[in-house]
Amino acid sequence: MENYLVAMAVFAGLYGLMALGLNVIWGMAGMINLGLVGFMAVGAYTSALLTVRHATWPMPLGILAAVIVTATAGALVARLTAKMKGDYLAIVTLGFSEVVRIIASNEIRFTNGTDGISAIPGPWRGQVAPATFNLIFLGITALAVLVVYLICQRIRHSPYGRVLRAIRDDDQVTAVAGKPVLRFKTEAFAVGAAITGFAGALYGHYNAYIAPEGFVPLITIYIVLALTAGGTGTNAGAVIGAALVVAFMEGTRFVVAEIPGLAAVQVAAVREFLIATLLIVLLRFRPQGLFPERHIRHRLPGAS
Amino acid sequence: MLVRLNRRALLAGTAAALAAPAILRAQAEPIRFGALNPLTGAGGPYGPSMRKAIEGVIEAVNNAGGINGRRVQLFGEDTQTNPDAAVRAARKLIDVDRVIAIMGTWASAVTTAVAPLCWESRTMLFTVSGADSITQLPHRGFIIRTQPNSTLQITKLAEFLGERGARNIFILAAQTPFAEPNRVILEREMPKYGGKVAGQVIYDRDKTVFRSEVDQALRARPDYIFLNGYLPDVTILLRELFRAGWTGGKVAPAYAVNQRLLDSLPAEVTNGTVTWAPSPDVESPAFKRLQTLLGTDDPDPYSCQTNDHASLACLAAAIAPAITGEGLRVSVRTVSQGGGERVTDVVEGLRLLKDGRKIDYAGSSGACDFTDTGDILTCPFRYEVAEGGKLRTLRIA
Repeated sequence: MENYLVAMAVFAGLYGLMALGLNVIWGMAGMINLGLVGFMAVGAYTSALLTVRHATWPMPLGILAAVIVTATAGALVARLTAKMKGDYLAIVTLGFSEVVRIIASNEIRFTNGTDGISAIPGPWRGQVAPATFNLIFLGITALAVLVVYLICQRIRHSPYGRVLRAIRDDDQVTAVAGKPVLRFKTEAFAVGAAITGFAGALYGHYNAYIAPEGFVPLITIYIVLALTAGGTGTNAGAVIGAALVVAFMEGTRFVVAEIPGLAAVQVAAVREFLIATLLIVLLRFRPQGLFPERHIRHRLPGAS
Repeated sequence: MLVRLNRRALLAGTAAALAAPAILRAQAEPIRFGALNPLTGAGGPYGPSMRKAIEGVIEAVNNAGGINGRRVQLFGEDTQTNPDAAVRAARKLIDVDRVIAIMGTWASAVTTAVAPLCWESRTMLFTVSGADSITQLPHRGFIIRTQPNSTLQITKLAEFLGERGARNIFILAAQTPFAEPNRVILEREMPKYGGKVAGQVIYDRDKTVFRSEVDQALRARPDYIFLNGYLPDVTILLRELFRAGWTGGKVAPAYAVNQRLLDSLPAEVTNGTVTWAPSPDVESPAFKRLQTLLGTDDPDPYSCQTNDHASLACLAAAIAPAITGEGLRVSVRTVSQGGGERVTDVVEGLRLLKDGRKIDYAGSSGACDFTDTGDILTCPFRYEVAEGGKLRTLRIA
């Protein structure tokens, strides 16, 4: 049981990292990115290709490379979609993630196609007991979440974050105020993508195996759900939301199994139904999330 | 009368219970198996009956008194046909339910994702996934696969084509991960029957016209054309071959040329197309029992295989030195192959094992004999030919 809880905490942490990444792009800068899983895939593949398939770089270097490559990919996507907003941006980014997945399936020589990449190294994997490996990885994930959380908090409370929020609320006004909107958008997208790629790389090293089929839009939906549940725009909301989503998804396993008289396929259907219901209920009754963004107000100079 | 227990009596009682033979306590502890099937997602059409095929075996075993007096408890989870979800489900089965075997993973990506968890935690994994790479993983014997891999499938195709007198085969293949490996195997196998592969064109499945591909195939002057694609593209290819006046042999996988395809094309276009596919052992009593259990005349191959997964796991557990994944690993081949009384029913097998007899299990999916790497040695194949818009079975062997 402990081992299972630790593993789920790792998943929650990795989802939390991605939710933090999405929060920079969507929560702070207001760009809808439904291609999140594409960046996760780019990160996971970059690190996996460099540490096991095409080279034997040490893991930290592979992860660093993943961060750099996904940041570049993010900046590129931001530039390509510079003129798009709202639904159009959502569709194009969704397309991006599908393109990544299809490339990973078909560039067999480069990515090993749909067979995926297995035996991705993990820190001390094989040298310690599986349970110990789990604990080590939980430590690494927790540290990663903490560091990224602090960075995101720093961004949010800095003048830089204020500009991002201004762009989110009205980019024309921000442009009139003399801010280089495109540059800010590109940078925010790159930072968010880099965080997601970082999470993707860790995901690969944790599971030891990645395949194109693992990077389906369903994961993006989980992350969007996590951020919506937590509260779009707040970093703590992103992390807690991710933990809640994983807890809910896993919790339904145990709850639904207790309902008597359900066949296996009905149990599975009820679980999916519950997760969908959660999203609908949440959006209906608490669209701002459990920890909504509070506007940071600074006292006017001279006011008593 | 109210029995009053003082601390000393309680302690004495507990000590007595603990000192009792381990077998008495063990009876209360069931043997735990896990079923991990695609109940939702792309595998959704297969998962539910795969699960029923497992449940049927477990129920039969429990009704007959369990394995050596121990009940079998089945824990089920859904893979959602998604590696991410499957890994979490497998974690739950292994760490919370403490199962000693996981049965019935379907998608290759799911199986490959779950496999490291299984061999690291010494849990046996029975799978129906076909990708060749799965049994090449460093699984140390913890994977058993009942689905024929592509080497076996193409070897059987080569044998069949050789018998039909094919000497020069051209392949039109959809762009899939198995297109290229399949060609390599066919090229290796055909010379055994005096034939060869004249060439291969890999095409994009989503195209709507394959005129130039068909021309390339005809230029090689083959006597057989192997349409290694899926239903939509093979439909177009058959039509274009007919238009081009092709009268030679046509062969395609059974999942591409099925009744739906035959209904959508005129009979003169499809006549003479032969198909091949791994088949359950339709003559086996196990297959007939499964027909009754699932309430269908035509149980799909995956359900037949998971039915055998559960039977093999139960039989292996009966003679395992310890009721663990490790125990199943060392004993599964003792019940599945190597001579002994031929058994197709798990309950009968358990009875014979109890009497100290050696058994050789063969189930609804076939002989269930495995190589050291966990691949199935052979299984029945069904060969059919399209005639007048219907498929006629040539043979099952």
